[in-house]
Order: sequence, then C-alpha cells, then structure tokens
Amino acid sequence: MNHGALAFWLRIAGLFLLRSRRTTVVLSLMVLLSVAILIFLSSLAVGINDAMVRNSVSLYSGHITGVNLAADLVPAQLEIDGVDAVVKRVENRGLLQQNDRVEPVMLVASDPADEISATALWRKITAGRYPQAGKAEMLLSEHTAERLGLGIGDELQFRHGLESPPVNFRLTGVYRTGIDNLDRGLAFCPPAIVPGDDVRWSAAVFLGDGIEVETVIGHYRERFGDAAQFETWQELMPDLRQLIDLNYVSMSIVTFIVFGLVAVGVSSAFVIFILKNLREYGIVKSMGVTPFEIGLLIGLEVGLMNFVACVGGVALGVVASQVMSTVGIDLTAFTSHNRYFAVSGIVTPRLTLYSLWVPPAVAFIFGLLASIWPAMLVIRGRTAEILRGI
Amino acid sequence: MIRVQNLGKDFRSGRRQVEALDGVSFNVEPGEALAVVGKSGSGKTTLLNCIGGLERPDRGSVASLGVNLHELSRHALSMFQREHLGFVFQFGNLLSYLTVYENIEFPLALNGIPRQERDLRIGALLEKVGLASSARALPGELSGGEVQRISFARAIAHRPQILLADEPTASLDSQTGHDLVQLMLDVLRDQAASLIVATHDPVVTELADSIMHLRDGRIVDEAQTAVL
Ligand SMILES: Nc1ncnc2c1ncn2[C@@H]1O[C@H](COP(=O)(O)OP(=O)(O)OP(=O)(O)O)[C@@H](O)[C@H]1O
Ligand SMILES: [Mg+2]
Repeated sequence: MNHGALAFWLRIAGLFLLRSRRTTVVLSLMVLLSVAILIFLSSLAVGINDAMVRNSVSLYSGHITGVNLAADLVPAQLEIDGVDAVVKRVENRGLLQQNDRVEPVMLVASDPADEISATALWRKITAGRYPQAGKAEMLLSEHTAERLGLGIGDELQFRHGLESPPVNFRLTGVYRTGIDNLDRGLAFCPPAIVPGDDVRWSAAVFLGDGIEVETVIGHYRERFGDAAQFETWQELMPDLRQLIDLNYVSMSIVTFIVFGLVAVGVSSAFVIFILKNLREYGIVKSMGVTPFEIGLLIGLEVGLMNFVACVGGVALGVVASQVMSTVGIDLTAFTSHNRYFAVSGIVTPRLTLYSLWVPPAVAFIFGLLASIWPAMLVIRGRTAEILRGI
Repeated sequence: MIRVQNLGKDFRSGRRQVEALDGVSFNVEPGEALAVVGKSGSGKTTLLNCIGGLERPDRGSVASLGVNLHELSRHALSMFQREHLGFVFQFGNLLSYLTVYENIEFPLALNGIPRQERDLRIGALLEKVGLASSARALPGELSGGEVQRISFARAIAHRPQILLADEPTASLDSQTGHDLVQLMLDVLRDQAASLIVATHDPVVTELADSIMHLRDGRIVDEAQTAVL
C-alpha cells in the first residue's frame, strides 16, 4: 500500500460521504450532538463537585488548613502558584461569659478584611455585621448567642481560663451556616484584641478551581518541612470527600450508560448506512478490490465521517461548557437546603482533559467497531449475492 | 482463453432446490465472442458469475488464462479480477456516488495507470460510446441506456483479457445496441480478448462467433432449441 493508493481510497471515501450528503449529514449530526452532550454533561458533573467543594471550604476551612504554624512564618510565604488567598487565624480556646452564663468557645482572631474577601461566612450573618479591625467586637454563632442570652450590641467577656483576666467584647453580629461544627462554639474577632494571640497560628489556604490539593501540599512540605502541618479538606471533611467520590461513581455509571446507548445508536446507524449501500460495495468488489482494500475503504468512510463529527462535537461541547461557565447555572432551587451548597447554588461547568477526549474517542472507536461486521459481510459474502442485494 | 469443465451450481432456498447449472463444459478462445442464450431463469447470469469469480460453483472448474479461479485466495482472486476481467452487468452497476468519469477511472486507478493515461483513455472511451458530454454527470442523472453504455466503457477501460456481459443491450434501441456490440467486438479483436455475452437480443447473436443455448442450467443443442 503506497502513498498514492491511500490517497485514492481517501478520495473515494470522501466522494462517497460528500455525495451521500443527506445520510452523511444526519449521521454526523447524531455523532456530533452525542459527543457535545457528553462533553457538556461531564463538565457539568465536574462543576457540581467543584461547587460543593467551593461551598464547603469557602465558609471557613479553605482547601488546605495549616495548623501550629510558627510565628515568624508569614501568610505571603504560603501564597504559591495556584493559591488564591491565605487567611491567617489565631485560635484562642476559652470561655465566653455573660452574667452567670458560660459557654466554651474557640475564638478565632483574624483580619476582618481577609476573612470577608476569602471566605463566605459573612454572607451567613443573620443579624448585625462583621466585627471591624482594631475594635473589641465579636461575631458569634446564633446558637451560642442564644445560649448566652445575648442580643446584638450586648457586652460579653472572653477568658482563656477561669483564672485568666477577662477581655471585654461587644457582640456585633450573629451567623448561622447550617453546618454543626461551624454553628456551635465558634466566634470571630479582629486580631490583637486578645492578649497572647501572636504566637502560633493557623492558615486557611484557598485554591483556584481545578488546582490539585496534593500538589500544593507537596510544595509546602518541601518548603517548610516538619515546621508546619497541613491538612486537606478531604481529611477535614471525609463526609464531603465520600459524597464527591460517590458522585464520580454515579456519574461514571451514568456516563457509561449514556455512552453505551449512544454507542449502540451510532453503531446501528453505521451498520444501516453501510448495509444500505451494500450493493455498491458488491460492485466495488466485482472490480477486483481486495478484502484489505474493502476494509480500508469502509474504515476510511466511517473514520472520516466520525472524525469530522467528533471535531464538531468537541467544538460545540467546549463552546456550550464555556458559555455556561461564564453565565453560571443557578441550581439554588435544588440546593437551598443542602449543607454542601451552603453559600451558593450556582454551578459553573468545568472542562477537564478527561471529559474532552473520552466522548470523541468512544464515538470514534464504536463507529469503527460498528463497521467491522458490515465490512466482513462484504468481504466474506459471495459477490453475486451482495449484488443481488440481500 | 476460458476453459469451463462440467460446471454445476445449486441453489437452495427453503425447501426449493434449483439446479441453476449442471454439467456445463465449453471453451472460449482469445478473440472469440460466445453468445449464451436461453429463457429467463435458464442460468445465464449464474454461468457468467461463476466464470467471473463472483459465485463459487458447486461442481466442475473454470480456468481463465490458465488459472483455476476457484482455487485462488480471496486476495489473489481480486487481483485477477481487477487485471483481467471486465463485467457489464444485467442492471448497469455504476457506483452512484461517482461521476461517469470517476466510474470509468476506478478500474484504471486500481490497476495503477497514471493520471494522464487515464485521462486519454477515458476521453476516447466516452467518445466511442457517444457520451463525451456526460463526463461530469452522476449515474442517477443518466437514462438506462446511457448507464449501460458507461458500464461497458468501464468494463473495457483497463483492457481486460476476459469480458463478461450480461444482457448488455437490454435497455438499448436496436441501432445503439448494434453499435455497442460492434464496439465490443472491435475491442475483442484488438486485444485478443474473450467475450461471453448472455443475451436475448438477435442483434447480438448475429454478430457473435458462436452461440450456446442453455435450458434449466444445461447446454442443449441448437437444432432442438430451434424446434422448440
Ligand atoms: N441466489 C439465488 N438463490 C436461489 N436461487 C437462485 C439464486 N440465483 C439464481 N437462482 C435461481 O437459479 C436459476 C438461474 O438463475 P439466473 O439468474 O442464472 O437466470 P438467467 O438465465 O440469468 O435469467 P434472466 O434471463 O431472467 O436474467 C433461476 O431459477 C433462479 O431462480
Ligand atoms: Mg440473468
């Protein structure tokens, strides 16, 4: 098989497709749409998982939580590639006191501006406002405020232990997230109000969409060694991790079923396409086209059409995903009572390499597989029989 | 040269068994034209198919140019067909998605004939069958007789040693039919090819070198047929 012969068969295959215009267009559209839909669906699934992670980590913890960080480490050192924001927090364990009531609390001292720009907790404020920098103000969960019998503007005290001196605060806001470990026993205040909060600190590290947590942590470990400890959101929220894994499993099953259906559809369409023209292959065969060349011709016809359709399908799928990810898909109606969508029900589809190449590859392979049977029919069948038109 | 010996072919369809050919033997020399005549269903098409390697006989043998066709591998059979055989089918079998020009070009390209040579030959052939102006037409745009003439041009384009024609004049008027058969015979003599033509057409039988009568898949002698 030399170059010229291949060009000849390519030309014949091309002419065949071109002049069977209607069938070619219908079949190509079918493949094109399936590929586009599958690409869009998988980008949507990735987008939903992204949204759950984003929602869950954006309230408080960040994708990575650094604990027990040395005082001489500064947040800027953590802001490497792929990191969107780092919030420095000092955690003060102690007691909140109001008149005779006492509640254990973890009082988080952090810069209000940093918290507001990086986290979404402020959006969960149900009354009052976020504390202001430099003032002895406090944000408290609704639950804790109720237990202490506090209202907005009331005075309260924080102390590390019963023996240590109290620090006075004013309650400026209360919040409710719907997530237990954030709603119970957590309080926020600006830094440098509670004495002794400049020793060891924690970091909430926020990553861009699609950035691998492991990669960033790897860099941190290289840079800081044992001087710092880091935990991923997967470690902190095993429930969410499982849910996302579960999502991927069910999405894979769905994808597999959809792929299966599309593949069967595409395959049968190709079989019909070839059988419809069986007589023409009989003519070709009677002119002395070898079995190999018949296989080549049918393969080229199916391959060529699939190729064009897949390119179109990928293009359409990418455009659809991109458009929807700039617009955003509002699923609030379905997510408003879901703790994994505590902040926002807006999903932005995201394309991954996987969702880009699997659908066209599957369509292409199934198309070629589907052409094997009719090709064998032509090759093995008696030419006279094929010409008669089975 | 074609040597057919004791050829037999059965068809089974359901409970019905048809002996389409039985004990058929004859030779065709290079440059000779043999007309096969017989009623519909007498086995003419089946005979041509067996000789051309489109059908596998159940008994007997076909040797063309010294090669026993039915002992060849699929690949070797294809190579033999592309080089040495030309078919004109009962129902002009052109490739519907190729133009007249491209249809005739197909066997030429298969045989690796260079583009310029192809151009020349196709031009001359179209001229001969009187369809020079239809080179760019698709088969669907042609009349039955035109399709038949193009089929013929395609069958002889690569100058095969064996030409098999199944009712080539069926959809032609007698004058055009006569011209076509004459053309066939010219080609035959030029190239010392062998022609076997199945036909009902007296124009064809008149011009052929010899005539073979088939009835129910068997050769019958002429006198007997004449009486019938
Ligand atoms: N594939 C087949 N299956 C079953 N029977 C067949 C098949 N092909 C041919 N026959 C039978 O074999 C016999 C000979 O058929 P053939 O086509 O050779 O006749 P023919 O002489 O060419 O007829 P016509 O002049 O009508 O074209 C017929 O009885 C036909 O029914
Ligand atoms: Mg016939």
